[in-house]
Amino acid sequence: MAKFIGQRLAQSLFVLFGLSLLIFFIARVVPGDPARAALGFLATQDQVEKMRAEMHLDKPFVVQYYYWFTGLLRGDLGKSSYTHRPVTTDLGQFIPATLELILFATLISLTVGQVTGVLAGYFRNSWFDGLSRLISYLGIATPSFVVAILLIFVFSQLLRLAPSVGRLPIMVAPPPTVTGFMVLDALIAGRVEVALVALKHLLLPAVSLALIHIAQEGRITRTSIVENLDKDYITMHKVHGIRTSRLVFKYLLRPSIIPTVAVIGLDFAFLMSNAFLVELVFMWPGFARYAVTTMLNKDLNAMVAVVLVIGVTFAMVNLLVDILITFLDPTIRIQRRGG
Amino acid sequence: MALLEVVDLHVGYRVFEGYLKVLNGVNFEIEEQERVGLVGETGCGKTTLVKTILRVLPVPPARIQRGQVLYHGKDILLMSPREVRGLRRREMTAIFQDPLQALNPMFTIGTQLRDILKDSQERVGRGQRTQRAITARCISALRDTGMPDPERIMSNYPIQLSGGMRQRVCIAEALSRNVRLLLADEPTTNLDVTIQDQILRKLDQLVDQRGASVLIITHSMGVVRDLTQRLYIMYAGSMVETGRTKGVLASPLHPYTQGLMRSVPRLTGQGISDGIPGRIPNYLQPPSGCRFHPRCAHAMPVCVEAPPPFYPAGDNHRVACYLYRS
Ligand SMILES: Nc1ncnc2c1ncn2[C@@H]1O[C@H](COP(=O)(O)OP(=O)(O)OP(=O)(O)O)[C@@H](O)[C@H]1O
Ligand code: SF4
Ligand SMILES: [Mg+2]
Repeated sequence: MAKFIGQRLAQSLFVLFGLSLLIFFIARVVPGDPARAALGFLATQDQVEKMRAEMHLDKPFVVQYYYWFTGLLRGDLGKSSYTHRPVTTDLGQFIPATLELILFATLISLTVGQVTGVLAGYFRNSWFDGLSRLISYLGIATPSFVVAILLIFVFSQLLRLAPSVGRLPIMVAPPPTVTGFMVLDALIAGRVEVALVALKHLLLPAVSLALIHIAQEGRITRTSIVENLDKDYITMHKVHGIRTSRLVFKYLLRPSIIPTVAVIGLDFAFLMSNAFLVELVFMWPGFARYAVTTMLNKDLNAMVAVVLVIGVTFAMVNLLVDILITFLDPTIRIQRRGG
Repeated sequence: MALLEVVDLHVGYRVFEGYLKVLNGVNFEIEEQERVGLVGETGCGKTTLVKTILRVLPVPPARIQRGQVLYHGKDILLMSPREVRGLRRREMTAIFQDPLQALNPMFTIGTQLRDILKDSQERVGRGQRTQRAITARCISALRDTGMPDPERIMSNYPIQLSGGMRQRVCIAEALSRNVRLLLADEPTTNLDVTIQDQILRKLDQLVDQRGASVLIITHSMGVVRDLTQRLYIMYAGSMVETGRTKGVLASPLHPYTQGLMRSVPRLTGQGISDGIPGRIPNYLQPPSGCRFHPRCAHAMPVCVEAPPPFYPAGDNHRVACYLYRS
């Protein structure tokens, strides 16, 4: 297992290195002058030239990359030409907000998706199966930001059940930052009512993000439940009088959730890109909004960092998923041990 | 009263092309402590019959049209799911054809065996003593089947075992609790010839020790001769002949059985080539009356009209054929 993880980590590092070279290069060849973008239209040509030198843009590509890479080794990703702060500071501020959103959305989609998938599969062709199929198709076909707007209209405007703006009301002082997750930080600070308010703020954006994944994961689970229901070993469990609850939640669920777990990794990448529109609609001060802003402003250092963060997250999540699957599926575990 | 009695059972499958009328009025019974053999060509409905008895037939596509499956006189087909589970826990169970598919690949042998024992009891203590007692019973059930090193097998996963070992696990699962009836559906068909015999003898010995009844479905006349007291011959969804195994083997009466005996003792391949001309009928539009009539050399006008009932032919011997109407 340790060997497997080591191999995968080495692979990931190699891929990330390639990715950084690629994005570094692409960021520099797309049209637009980063120095000019950093200074604005009123800057003189002299100022722009000075800025170019400061940003090493007058040096060959390899040298630029060398500067950037040695910086990276020191934990320095350069300065953002848009926020005029170190990129690492920006990331530290925006990433947790988005992670909190995405993790919560994943939690929702996994639980709701699994439960509906299992029920729909076990009671296949029942009214519940039909209804969940209909809702799934709607969920898959509707873009997240449309869902977001609908949710705001219904739950925020009409019913006034949940807020639709930001992470906390303006009147509430945020808890001291420890993890960057508002709910967790509030709990750490011992302010339970703030944690609840923060959770309420999370609800609508997380649900808008989660809906499509609830639909997808529900369908995948349903399909594999139905497939496994026809397996001989499920018949055998029945023939031996195994309790229904044990049959469904142990013997049927375990083989059926593996395909769903396998797509979580991909879902995560999808969530990150999808988060942008949702963050925009809910005015969520998150990473996705930051990422798009840096792209639009040709903020070189920030762009490279953003892509790398997404790459690292994707690699980590997929490694975790692989470990989880090894843990869930003894067949794979035994093959990896080579016995 | 017979332990198990199946009366006029009709079961079919709804498929894309139409409705397959598979079981066509099956009548058979098993007495207490009786060993009964069931022989018939591939596709004649043996597995369908076993699954109907245990209520594990996939419905749909399957459909139970009519008939009764009486266990101690009580119709299994009318029981509540709860009663059926109780029946499977304490009264009857099965072993199926393919041991490679019969064990859940995600859990150890120990987990699967222990859960069967836990769920087969009315009340299970949570204490360590009970847990240890259950484990001990699982290990001895495995050892009883002739499994080498049962303690180690408990923590193995199915893919770590050979086909023969997996079938021993299946037998241990079936016989770990004291059931009254075991339905063994070709328990050794997919195994090595050398292991087949060994496993069947073990199975026979275990059933004997427990005083249970057993239905052995097989393609091998040798197995039937050695291990059963009574024999059923099945053709295209119904029983055509039954009697003491020795009697039926020595003097088969039904034209189909006679053809069967003339052909090779193993019927696994493409039907019966040299014994009887023709193929097993198509279940979409099965022949009327006696389903064997298109292949029968003795067919008479009456054979096309209605399925023949069992006619007695002495010494517990019964034949579903108009030739014996007397
Ligand atoms: N799930 C199903 N759906 C549709 N048809 C089925 C299904 N299961 C069985 N059948 C049909 O029912 C008939 C009897 O099948 P069954 O498995 O009972 O035969 P069998 O006597 O056990 O054969 P074998 O010796 O090959 O195991 C076959 O013609 C088969 O095509
Ligand atoms: S009933 Fe008629 S067709 Fe059927 S086996 Fe007897 S003689 Fe042949
Ligand atoms: Mg069969």
